[in-house]
Amino acid sequence: MEHSGSSPIERDLAELIVRTLKLKIDPTSIQPEAPLFGEGLGLDSIDALELSLAISQTYGYQLKSSDPEIKAIFSSLRALAKAIEKNRTK
Amino acid sequence: MHETVLFGPYDSDDVVAWGPEASRTAGRFLADARSLAESLPDRSTVLNLAASRYEFLVGFAAAILRGQVTLLPHSRAPHALRRIADDFPGSYALTDRDEQREEMLSIPIHIRPAPSSVPMPAVVPRIPLDQVVAVAFTSGTTGKPVPNRKTWGALTAVARATGSRLGIKERDRVTVVATVPHQHMFGLEASVMLPIMHGLAMHAGRPLFPADIQNVLTEAPGRWMLVTTPLHLRACIAENVLAPPGGLVLSATAPLTRDLARRVERQFQSAVHEIFGFAEAGSIAERRTIAGDRWKPLDGVRVVQEETSCTVRAPYLPDPVPVPDHLSVGSDGTFVVHGRKADHVNVAGHRVSIGDLNAKLLEIEGVHDGVFVLPDEETGLVTRLMAFVVAPGKSSEEILRRLRARVDPVFLPRPLVRVPRLPRNETGKLPRESVDEMIRRWKEQNGHDV
Repeated sequence: MEHSGSSPIERDLAELIVRTLKLKIDPTSIQPEAPLFGEGLGLDSIDALELSLAISQTYGYQLKSSDPEIKAIFSSLRALAKAIEKNRTK
Repeated sequence: MHETVLFGPYDSDDVVAWGPEASRTAGRFLADARSLAESLPDRSTVLNLAASRYEFLVGFAAAILRGQVTLLPHSRAPHALRRIADDFPGSYALTDRDEQREEMLSIPIHIRPAPSSVPMPAVVPRIPLDQVVAVAFTSGTTGKPVPNRKTWGALTAVARATGSRLGIKERDRVTVVATVPHQHMFGLEASVMLPIMHGLAMHAGRPLFPADIQNVLTEAPGRWMLVTTPLHLRACIAENVLAPPGGLVLSATAPLTRDLARRVERQFQSAVHEIFGFAEAGSIAERRTIAGDRWKPLDGVRVVQEETSCTVRAPYLPDPVPVPDHLSVGSDGTFVVHGRKADHVNVAGHRVSIGDLNAKLLEIEGVHDGVFVLPDEETGLVTRLMAFVVAPGKSSEEILRRLRARVDPVFLPRPLVRVPRLPRNETGKLPRESVDEMIRRWKEQNGHDV
């Protein structure tokens, strides 16, 4: 299902997530507002670590769990994409 | 006397825990532990789920003071916690301030704000060496977690032997930082028991991302010691993490390659040591990874080659403990590890029995047959398990949802593949070659690089 509301960076990020974490799902099926961890896609802290490396390599943005916003940043595809847009260096 | 102090050697203003909120001194720690101990319910077993290492320590010490045993669940999955609660009736949970568990009575650990300097009482409590203080669980082949009881004597002896092997002196100005959970046996031994038995400071948090690790190591007072895993070390190298030179890395849970150890030593300008251990016996041996493959047993530990397997003997172990890996022991007592025994796999540092996972999969209604496999590949930070499942009429999502309640998320299959049947032979067994063939075929069909 295509989400007409997805921005280009959300679509790129969905592809990065699926590829990095070998999720074997259609990237366009990730709901932009749905939780990524726990119940949603069911990702865990190793996924978070693995994803942080891919994000750093692709966008030059280093995630920090000391960031007070970290929970919000990881809450959904949309929130993560927004944080990347704001902090990316490449 | 067959007992030893709850912690020490600290002066009352020495820092026990350092972290984002504030430093906690030894005097303060004992006051916190005593105050919590008074408020604990009158029960014999407690699940300590605290995420903060300091709060975990306060809960652990309070339980010990009350003669209660701390259960260390290897998974936070609701099903796993309920199972442990069933096996240890009357258990309650100690949790972080904002967490409430549904499975059992849960008590949030409240650390009261108190004056920063609390004088140490003249006498630090002493704990009998034979008091059982913790239970670590390993995954059994039948789907039931197997409890491994840990005495105060065993935990303190391992902490002292590890410290002496690493050249740590009492009251060294060292801050122990850990990326591993303290509910894990290695985490408990290296990031909780090791610092409190040597009078060192521990970092109260748990850095996850490479940038966090760099921040914490840079800010840690004194010399740093990083208790971690090959997974986190690989991430640190990928992200060019820097740390003040002269620290100490202690890695465990999965073998570290010599190449990675060499790169970490160069990048951190620090020594990298590894611990070999398993939940049934705790840490048993150490090596400086760049110096060779051989593991040197900790002082007092003996690894003995028996006919078909090896056992560990130590003064604090009541009986010899079988080693779950294939080893060969040299005449000098050092040994080489050749790999896991059949049925056990290691995913991101968590050991699990495939038989246990299969049993849990088959418990799910509508699942007729199914098997977990660990593919032979090394891409990304960790290799995840896959599962092939025969469940007509059930969707993968539905099976995954049911599995999520029963197994640690780290073991959830990536992916879960639905198949019409498994390639079982006439005796009902699944030969590894047929499984490999099934994986290969699946990858071909899914355009996956083989």
